[in-house]
Formats: sequence, C-alpha cells, structure tokens
Amino acid sequence: MPIRWHALPLLFLSAIAPSLANPQSFENTAIVRTVELGGAIVHVTTTYAVKATQPGSKVYTIALGLEEKQKTSWYEVKVKGQQVVLPVSEQILDADRNYHLMDVTLPKALGVNATLNLVLETIQTHATTPWPKQASQKEDQALKYQTDLFVLSPYRTSVQRTKLKSLTPRIISFTTPENVQDFTLDIPATKSGATVTYGPYNNIPPSANEKFISKHQQPITVHYHHEQPVLEVLKLTRAAEISHWGANLNIQDNIVLHNAGPTLKGHFSRLEHQSQSYFKRAAPHALAALTLHLPAGIRNTYYYDLIGNVSTSRLRVAPSVAKTSRANRYSILELRPRYPMMGGWNYSFTLGWDAPLEDSASWDKSTGKYIVEVPIMTPIPGAVVDTAEVKVILPEGATDVEFVPPFPAVANWISTHTTYLDSVGRPELTFQYKDLTVFHAQNIFISYRVPLAAHLTKPFVVAAAFFSLFALAIVGRRINLTINKEKVL
Amino acid sequence: MPTAYPLPTNLSPATVANTASLIRIVALCLISGAAIASRLFAVINFESIIHEFDPWFNYRATRVLATKGFYEFWNWFDPTAWYPLGRVVGGTVYPGLMATSGVIYNLLHAINLPVDIRNICVLLAPGFSALTAWATYMFTKEMKDASAGLLAAAFIGIVPGYISRSVAGSYDNEAIAIFLLMFTFYCWIKALKQGSALFGTIAAVFYFYMVAAWGGYVFITNMIPLHALVLILMGRFSSRLYVAYSSWYAIGTLASMQVPFVGFQPVKTSEHMAALAVFGLLQIVAFAQLVRSRVSSRQFQNLLFAAVVTIGILGTFAFGALTYKGWIAPWTGRFYSLWDTGYAKKYIPIIASVSEHQPTAWPSFFMDLQFLIFLFPAGVFLCFRELRDEHLFVIIYAVMASYFAGVMVRLMLTLTPVVCVASAVALSTLLDTFVDPTEPDIAEEGKSESGTSTTSTAAPGANGSTAAATKKSKKAAAAAAETTSTLSHLLAATKKEGLANPKGIYGLDTRLMVIFNTTCLLAFFVFHCTWVTSSAYSSPSVVLASSNPDGSQHIIDDFREAYYWLRQNTPEDAVVMSWWDYGYQIAGMADRPTLVDNNTWNNTHIATVGKAMSSSEEVAYPILRKHDVQYVLVIFGGLIGYSGDDINKFLWMVRIAQGVWPDEIQEPNYFTSRGEYKVDENASPAMRNSLMYKMTYYRFAELFGGGQAMDRVRQQQMPKVGPTLDYLDEAFTSENWIVRIYEVKKEDPLGRDLKSANAFAQGKKRKRTKPVSRRRALVS
Repeated sequence: MPIRWHALPLLFLSAIAPSLANPQSFENTAIVRTVELGGAIVHVTTTYAVKATQPGSKVYTIALGLEEKQKTSWYEVKVKGQQVVLPVSEQILDADRNYHLMDVTLPKALGVNATLNLVLETIQTHATTPWPKQASQKEDQALKYQTDLFVLSPYRTSVQRTKLKSLTPRIISFTTPENVQDFTLDIPATKSGATVTYGPYNNIPPSANEKFISKHQQPITVHYHHEQPVLEVLKLTRAAEISHWGANLNIQDNIVLHNAGPTLKGHFSRLEHQSQSYFKRAAPHALAALTLHLPAGIRNTYYYDLIGNVSTSRLRVAPSVAKTSRANRYSILELRPRYPMMGGWNYSFTLGWDAPLEDSASWDKSTGKYIVEVPIMTPIPGAVVDTAEVKVILPEGATDVEFVPPFPAVANWISTHTTYLDSVGRPELTFQYKDLTVFHAQNIFISYRVPLAAHLTKPFVVAAAFFSLFALAIVGRRINLTINKEKVL
Repeated sequence: MPTAYPLPTNLSPATVANTASLIRIVALCLISGAAIASRLFAVINFESIIHEFDPWFNYRATRVLATKGFYEFWNWFDPTAWYPLGRVVGGTVYPGLMATSGVIYNLLHAINLPVDIRNICVLLAPGFSALTAWATYMFTKEMKDASAGLLAAAFIGIVPGYISRSVAGSYDNEAIAIFLLMFTFYCWIKALKQGSALFGTIAAVFYFYMVAAWGGYVFITNMIPLHALVLILMGRFSSRLYVAYSSWYAIGTLASMQVPFVGFQPVKTSEHMAALAVFGLLQIVAFAQLVRSRVSSRQFQNLLFAAVVTIGILGTFAFGALTYKGWIAPWTGRFYSLWDTGYAKKYIPIIASVSEHQPTAWPSFFMDLQFLIFLFPAGVFLCFRELRDEHLFVIIYAVMASYFAGVMVRLMLTLTPVVCVASAVALSTLLDTFVDPTEPDIAEEGKSESGTSTTSTAAPGANGSTAAATKKSKKAAAAAAETTSTLSHLLAATKKEGLANPKGIYGLDTRLMVIFNTTCLLAFFVFHCTWVTSSAYSSPSVVLASSNPDGSQHIIDDFREAYYWLRQNTPEDAVVMSWWDYGYQIAGMADRPTLVDNNTWNNTHIATVGKAMSSSEEVAYPILRKHDVQYVLVIFGGLIGYSGDDINKFLWMVRIAQGVWPDEIQEPNYFTSRGEYKVDENASPAMRNSLMYKMTYYRFAELFGGGQAMDRVRQQQMPKVGPTLDYLDEAFTSENWIVRIYEVKKEDPLGRDLKSANAFAQGKKRKRTKPVSRRRALVS
C-alpha cells in the first residue's frame, strides 16, 4: 500500500517534478544502505553522500524500487547529523515504471562540488516471511527477508554498499549476486558475524531507469534466525474520551494480536511449554508476555477480553509528570495473554486506563480554546499495526473543533457519540490508519471550545430528572384513586 | 396505669404515624441496601462475571435479545447447541429472565445510560433481591403487622438460603422468581382478604410473569388451589374466596398458556390438574350456595347428595379417560422424584447426577437459615393461634415447602421465604411483648383492659429508656399502633377472667434481658449470613481462587484460558464434545458448537457422549467422526486438586451410557475386582482403555520428570507409563492442566486405521522396544 499523504498537497508540484530530476545535477560519491533485520518491522537507513555537479541544485531525487515502496510504511529524510526533517514530495506513481521517485528539497542550494550527506530512514512492514512456514514448539524461528541488490538512483554513483544486520549472528544463508563483474572484482557478498555486506560496487551508472533495472537489478534474500516473536496487530481500535467534569482522559484500546511467525506445527503441548520455561529455553516464536509503556500517572487500568477480566498482569505506575518537564516517565505494564501465543495464534483483548486530563490538555487564554493531545497508539515493541481506528470523543457541547494529525489519516470524519448522562451527544472524531509502527506513535492535536452553558447542561439535566422523579412520587402519594370509599367486605 | 418505663405523652397521633411511616421507608431502603450489598462479594472478590453453568446460557440468550431484538430471540433456532440436532431456543426456554434484562437494557439505553448487558445480567439478581425484601414485607404485613414485615424483609434480605441463588453473577431464573413468588402470594392474600378482583388479576399477571420466568411456577399453581381447597374443607368458603380464586385462575391460566414453552400444559398435564379441579369445585360450591339460598334445606340435602355422587363419578371417569387417551400427560419423572427420592437414581440418572437434586443434608438447614430454623415452628404455631385465612396459607406453605426442601437441595429456595415470614412473626411477637411497657396492674384490675390498648397506641413514639430497647422499639414500634401484640391480647383475655394473680411482665430487667438476648441472636445471624455468603456462595466457579504464600489472592483461570483459546484459534464451526456440564460454558465463552449441554432434553444424545467417553478409542472414534467432532474437552483436577473434574463424574457417564447401551457399557467393569474406583495401576482394563481416562492422564506422568506421578484429587499414584493416544491428538492444555482439549484426527489418507498408521510412523522406535516387551510378556 503506497503512502499517499505526502502526495496530497503536492500533486501539482509532481507534475513538473520529472523535469527537476536532472541526472546531471548531482553525483553520489557513496551510498550506504543499512538494513536492520527484524520481525514484523525492518528498519532501513540509507546514507547518500551527495556532490552537486551543477550550481544552484536544490532538489535531490531519491528512487525506491516498487516493491520496496509498497513495504515502506514510514520514511524521513534528514541531513546527516541534523534534526530537521527535509520536505519530500512524491512523484506520481507511474504504473509502467517499476521504480518510484521522491524529490527532497535540500535546506539550501548547493554550489558545484559542494557535498552533503543525506540520510533516508524507512520502516518496512510485512517485509519478512517465516521460513520454514511451520515450526514445532521445540524448533527455532527463521525468517526470510528479500530486497533488491542495488539502491536505485537517478544519478551516477561512485561506490555503493548494502549491509544487512541481523540481531543474532545466526544467519542461515544469503544470496550471492551474479553478473556484478561490471561493478566489482571482489567477492560480491561477504558475511561477518551478524552482518552480510553486499559491495562495495563501483561506478554505477544512473540506475533509476528501465534499462539498468532489467539488466542489473536482482533480488537478494537473507535467511536468518530471529529470537523474538513476530507480532502483528490485525486491528487496533482506540477510543479516547475526554471528560472535563472528571478531569479525565480515558483511553481504551481494543487490540487483535496475531503471532505472524511460523505457524505451530502439530499441536501445543503444555508439558513441553512448561519444561521449556522451567529450563529458561522458551521457544522464540511463542509470546508469553508483552511489556508495554503506558503514560505516567494513570489510574483504573483495566485489561480484559471478550469473556472477562484477565488477572495475569502486573502494572507499575509512575507518578504523573508535569507537561513542561522533558522527563520521560512511563508506567510499565507487563501484560500476559490468557495463553502463550504460539505461531499463527490470535488473541484479542481490551486495555484501558484513565489519565489525568491536565497531563495532556491545556487552555489557551488568547483564543479561549482547549488544546488536547491524544496519542495515536501505544507502541507495542516490534509489532506492526495493520489497521487502526482512533476515536477521540470530546466533551458534550464542544464547538469549533479543529485538529492537526501528525500525519494524514487514510480517512477521518466527525460524528456524534452519546454516552452516560448525555442529552445531545458529544462530537466524536475518527481517524483511520494503516500499517503503523513504533515511529507512528505520535499525538493528534485537537482544539475546541466548550461554553459554560454546555458545562452546566449535565448537572442541570440530572437535577431535572431527579426533581421530576421526586415530584411524581410526591404527587403519586397524595392521589387517592379509590372509587368506592366504603370498606369492601 | 403503671408502665415499665416512661412514655412521652405530648405526641399527636399524626406525628407518630408520620414518623413511623418515615422510619419504615428508611428501614426498607436500608434493608434493600444490605440485601444488594451482601450479594456483591462475588463482584468484589472476583469480578463482574456470570457464574456457573446455566447462567451462561441465560446470558448468551439475553445478548441475542439485546442485540437482535425480541422477535429475533423469539424465533431463535440455535444450530450450535445439540449438534447436529440444534435447539429451538425461543420455544424451549422460560423467557422471563431474558425479557426482564432486555427491558432494563433498552430502558437504560433510552435514557442514555449505555450500561453493558453483562453488568445488567450480573446485577439483576441483587437488584431483584431488594424487591423480594419489599414483597416479603408486604406479605408479612398482611400476616401480622408492619414491624413483623420489616423483620421478615431484613431476614430474606440476608438469609443465605436465598443468597445462595441470587449473588451477583448468578444470573438464573431463581434470581427473579422468588420476588415473583412472594409478590404473587401477597396479591393472592390481598385478593382473598378483600375479595378483590383487581388484586386477583394482579396476582394472575404476576403469576404469568412467574410462569414466564421459572419452571417452579408449578409451586404456585398448586399452593393457591391447595389453600383454596383447605379453606373450602374448613367451611370457610366465601364470596371473597370465589372472586379471588376465579379471577386468578381464569386470567392466570390463559396468560400462562401464552408462554410457548408452557403452551397447553395447564390443561393437559397432571401437575396443573389440581388448580383446574379446585376451580371446578369452587364453581360447584358457589352454585350450591346459590341454590341453598333459594331452596329449602330438605330439598337441598337431596340435591346435594345426588349432585356429589354424579359429579364425583363423572369427574373420575373423565379424568381417567383423558389420561388413558393421552390428553392429560401423566406425572413427569422430576415430579415422581419429589415423592420417591430413590426414583431418579433408578430411572433417570441424568436428574440424579445433578448435585442440587440430591436430598438436603441436615446441616445445610442450619447453614442456610441459622436461628430462623428454630423460630420457624414458633411462627407457624403463632399462625395457628390466630388462624385467619391468610395464616392458613402460611401453614400450608410451611408444611409443603419443608417437605420439598428435605427432598431436594435446590428447593431450599422455596422454603426460605416462608421461614423468614414465620420467624419474623414469632420474633416480632416476642419483641412486642417485651417492648410493650404495660405492666399488670394489681390494684386496679378493672381498668387494665382499657389501659392496654391506650398504652400500646402510644408505644411507637416511646424513646426507650435504654439503648437496647431503642433499637428494637424502632423496628417493632412501626406498627404496634395498628394491632396490639398477640400476647397482650392474651394477657387481656386472662385478666378478664378475673384471675387472682394477673400474669404479665414486671420491671425493666426481664425486658432488657430478653431484648438483649434477641439482639445478640440477630447480631450473630448477621455475622453468620455474611460469613456464609462470602465463603460459600460467592465463588463464580468459572474462576477459582487460591492464595499465594504471602497471603494474596491467586486466581486460577484455566477454564477461561482454554475457552478463549478455543474461541480465538479454532475454526468457528469446529464441534466441541465435552460432558454436558460444560456445554453452556463452551457455547457462552468459546462460542463453538457443542454436542450436549445443560439443557438435558435428549437423553440418548447425552448417552452417546457418555458412551464415547467410556469406551475405548477404537469404539469411540467412529462415534466422534459421525458427529463431526473436531475437539474433545475434558476437565482434569488431578494436578492442583480440583475435585469437580471429569474422572469424578465419570461413573455418571458410564451409568447414563449403560441406560441406553446395556450390552456395551457395564458399570461394574469400571471398578477393580475388589469394587474400588481406582485410576492407578490397579485400574480395571475398561477404565484404563476408556477415552476419558486416556485423555485425562495423557502425558501426565511425564510432568513429574521420572518422579512418582500423583493424582491429587483421588490421592492415588499414577503408573509411570501413561496412556497413549492414537485417534486423538493433544491440542491444548491449560496452565494448571484443568482443561485439556484434544483434536480428533482425520482418517488416514492411505486408508489404514490410525493405530497402525501411528505404529508405522513411529516404526523405528517400535522395533527397538519390541524385544523388551516380548521379554516382559514371557515373564508375566
């Protein structure tokens, strides 16, 4: 699924973009791609050492293979050593081309021979496949990762390297590329410890074109052991309810968790599992517990599933932190599913908590509006969220609702939500996302106005209801409906 | 007029009445609060969860009702129960409970209170217990006075005999039925007292509600006619009785026939015939009364004689003919088992296998009722003293319910209300006597009679001179204004006869002693109730609790672990076979089709499961495959000592299977030659080869890593080499091994039987072990 949001405001730009990708304007003195192999998430860092060959070059074009582009759920371009994210505009995806171009606007135009190091970070999801597809409880978990040999670029490249790093030095196999004598005379791929290095490959012509791709581009595969379970959240539904009367931000996540590692071969044997955990040799594809970082200062945390409370978890609550302080403090939740999750198993549950509203909300005096930040998700380490739906429920009577998501949603809309003691209902904002990772755990900012009258509606309605109830009782007790006043037999 | 303690004199009757009314309301509110609060142990100690077995079905049905609406529920055919037969739920269920929750759910949602349906179901029973307390108050008020009513309400609010079936989460028919029972009886008494067709109709409406809610409605169906019959036989026939009974019976019966599950039973089955017969009898008696008022007594006697003979003969013939033709169904088995406790064990083992159908043990009377069981006869005796029409009702109720409670544990529930009522009458009489400040007047004997009534009118306002007296007087005071206590009547009566030594209570000391004693009894009762409720009746049985070494609570959640595993990781149409006890839970929590469940309507189907469990793998396998069984679930408590497991229930499976296949399954085969029920090395071959045994102990011995395996429930040492399985495969075992799930293997693709296929697959191993086994064979 291609990421569309960057394309939206820049559609018109991309129409003229191809003309900017002038192959003469830059040259890559070196490209180093580092792939950190993981389970559900693969982190790719590509460093481009760029040299300008024409004066005033300001737009640098990055190319991604089509498949790579589809796997990428998040990317960011920075100048090496700087924090500022550079603006990127995507060129229109052309179905006929099997590569994809993105234009990066450099912080300042480069003069001739001026150099710059650009860093492209991407997160790939669903990029690995378990192989073998089935593993018994005693067996290890091995994954396969496939990528292209060359980093494409519309410019000439002097030297190029690709490093694939696994978390453990247990790499089972890797592809040795063929027909690369044009670029190197050494061994095209080497392995040392947990790293497989492809290259260096020298003097690569502009590669973002059909000719180069069909002639030289080839897939490479690494087969490696992975010692953590591969987790996927099939569906995350988050409801964040803001209550001004309770000074409370309630967050509730419905999570459908799936172990996307190799499916369990044969059947689950408790005996096996117990002896494994007794000897501390747990199967790498079995998930016994998860550690989640929840916000500091939370109360009333609950964890249940469709059939009731799950009592097998521990929570250490950190005290609330002031909004201004930079300290990162978390409550730690050790969450255990009802049963150990073997490969291919599912587990759905609900996790929720109350957080003090003052930790995430503030009142803007100048505009008279409240501003609330709501996190899109609580990161589950190493897991990818396939689809997410975030609902933010504002207080009853909130008006002038404005919101700024950290990145555009696949879809979003406003509806009405009615809950306890409501008379007219509350505005509810819904955002839908796809393929979220730890890097997407950012905040949605929402501002709204709540008039005093809206604040007072609730107690007034409740008081009126009780008053009418008592009034009815008072009247009812004093009405005599007896027709016949005489005593019956 | 001497009094034991000073009474205020400056209170107007209106003030007294208003204060009494306020105190009554406050007392009733507190009683309701106590009744609800004492049922919340389960929610506080565990969580808001549906308990046990049947409530899971009710909960599931309620969810269908709440999400899909009433008509959908009415026409609900559940294909997942009793696979492959299915179950017409709408027509085989008492819908009152679900309808009540559904109405509450929709009402709350209509006023924007989106309460979860589960919480409504969990809290329904405590909520209705508050209503029961109120209904009991109204009922007892008719028997004696409001002070007795308040006592009765307090008793029923916290008495364990009722709490046992109405704790939060015990979402069963009884939860609302006891309220309906008491309220119907109250309306009946009221109708009878006033001869009111209105109250008769209200009684009929609540009777209909009761019919829709609980199978125990038959109790009302027979209690009211019995009361009417006794009244007629005692010569107490009146137009009031006629109006009350006729309006109740006519409307109630017609209404009750609207419940699909009941249908035409009220006119077709023997259990309902008594009501019809009394209805007929009442018409005849009323007609006779009418005739008697019109004709001379001589003619009337002739007429009466002729009529009695003809009607008697005709009636008997008609009844016999109807029964013979099958129009009237004979008594059902459950009914017979009420009269002959051994009946069920012989003919319907399914009924006998349920623990709550066992006869009541004596200690459980004390456990469930505590000191009320001693006060109960006194209360019944006091009813005899007055013996108005309504007292007769309590007496009959007491006799019938005592018998039934002795026969079946679960019928303790119907006894509890009458025990509360009678005890409250007794206790309040006692308190009335000793709180009443009147002292017998030796000097002015003549005046004392009038004095009694005036002082007791003033008594309510009395600020008792001592603390102990205040507490009691508040309760007792409430209605002392209306009736003077029985005993003071008695006193007055004896005085009238002008005995030389007037009887009565002198001074404060006697009074204080008795009142103190009573207060202590009541206090102990409260402690007892709280203790019994928290320790015996508040466990959800789905979740087990034990304690960690440091004293904190440790939850054993194996059932839900396994059910949730089934729900999340098996195909939605995977049929799960288990013993019927777990059918409702599997349907409710795992959401998977089951072969049999707690609605034990098809004995053969249950016996089929029993047969599969108790025969060897080779025999069971075709049965499993024919029923599309994919998973088999067994409960095993041997690892942590959970005694309610399947091996302990196993003999019932054998018995039930034997009832249908006496040639194939024989109970004695499952005992050792010495007649012991063993699972260790001495277990009989039939036992050791049974599917149940194999599934229970599969790989159990390996868990002990070479040590001696021990079954902690039966305290027997297991053989070192456990059973092997050829036709099934272990699919899941919960953390403490309580729930074990096995998958039924598909037929071998090469057409071999699975045993030889397995042997082939393990070929190498087998060869190596073969010489060993041969040598062993030679030795033996």
